[in-house]
Amino acid sequence: MEPNSLPATERPGESAAGLWRTFLASTLVLAASLGLLFVATEGGSAFTTETLRRSAVMRSPQPIPDLQVIDASGVSASLLERRAADPRVWIVDFVYTQCASVCLSLGTVYQRLQAEITERGLQDRVGLVSVSFDPARDDAPALQAYASRWGMEPQVWQVLTLARPSDRRRLLDAFGIMVIPAPLGEFEHNAALHVVDAAGRLVRIVDHDDPGRALAIATALTR
Amino acid sequence: MNPWPIRSRSLAAGMVLAALACALSLPPARMLIEQSMLWHMVVQMPMLVVAGSLLMQSVPAARLPDRLARWNAYGLTGFIAAQGIIVYWMLPLAIDRAVVLPATDVLKIVSLLACGALLARAFARSAVVVQLFFLGYTVSMLGSAGLYLLSTTRRLCNAYSLESQFSAGVSMLILASALTIAWAGFTLRRREGSGTPEHGANRGARQRLHTN
Repeated sequence: MEPNSLPATERPGESAAGLWRTFLASTLVLAASLGLLFVATEGGSAFTTETLRRSAVMRSPQPIPDLQVIDASGVSASLLERRAADPRVWIVDFVYTQCASVCLSLGTVYQRLQAEITERGLQDRVGLVSVSFDPARDDAPALQAYASRWGMEPQVWQVLTLARPSDRRRLLDAFGIMVIPAPLGEFEHNAALHVVDAAGRLVRIVDHDDPGRALAIATALTR
Repeated sequence: MNPWPIRSRSLAAGMVLAALACALSLPPARMLIEQSMLWHMVVQMPMLVVAGSLLMQSVPAARLPDRLARWNAYGLTGFIAAQGIIVYWMLPLAIDRAVVLPATDVLKIVSLLACGALLARAFARSAVVVQLFFLGYTVSMLGSAGLYLLSTTRRLCNAYSLESQFSAGVSMLILASALTIAWAGFTLRRREGSGTPEHGANRGARQRLHTN
């Protein structure tokens, strides 16, 4: 005999005491579920990995990793040495030079930022850095071509890539970038503006369509 | 009447489905859930829930401990726990984590199988009106999530492209409608086989199945 074929009072849980027990258990389970969701979403404020990542960085700035990088002229140096040699706050984005999708809009955003930095005379306080996460294809000549395509002024905007392709994972993890290979040799990746202070800490991550805010945060850090 | 044939069929179907769903988390099939939100959310996750439910249905109710059943009148506690599990795995951040972290993926498999098992017991014990309440809630949640996924231009999961998000949204809408239709059809068929509504309905369905 199964519980369902018993009269109601003999089915487990459906007596008065069982209803109270069930009420108690349901309330506890509901509270536990809501508690779990509350913790997982930081009190209902973050539903995506991206917002979670941004609020974590805002709460506690994170040191950038020390990786060997090369620039458009082929000079190899450690990222932290380059950071230390430059007193400006950096606004960093992640690209690959063959990109035909989201990096195009990132390129336009950076062009506008470059124009605004020059116009307002901020080039001693804020620097733009584009980092390629595709070191296998992006060698110095590719970076050079990218720099001239976007009209980079070297005193404002520089482009770097990894000297060792094996460092790619560390770079992407440190900045919270997720790169998914897509058809036609493209990559799908999250685009954002990363503000890195002169001490080499990632302090804020801002939407790529809000460059004004990134610039405001960066200039505020240099005051 | 021998209750085993239908039970062993559920057991076999549950094990096959569970194995297929787990295979989607392992290479080479893992590629599918890594690249397609649809395969992850609308194929693998529901497969796990259905597998868990079939496995639970293969266990005779008399063998389940009464002690637990006493805390689960009308399957209410089970419904709420299952709902909590479903809501969690609809969070974009949870989906991303299941793609990137193997441990989270294991947790996903275990919790969704458990969700199916809880739902099987809850549906067997509850009146139609309670089922309708929870189904309505799940379907409206699936539907609105689906609509949002297909209409937003914001990429919600770092692991998936916007196109993948769009097709997942469309198929979530289809899944929500299919669930409603399936439940309605199932409930009507059960009730038709018995004079008394609600609990009597289960008995009618069982008898019909065994005389087939």
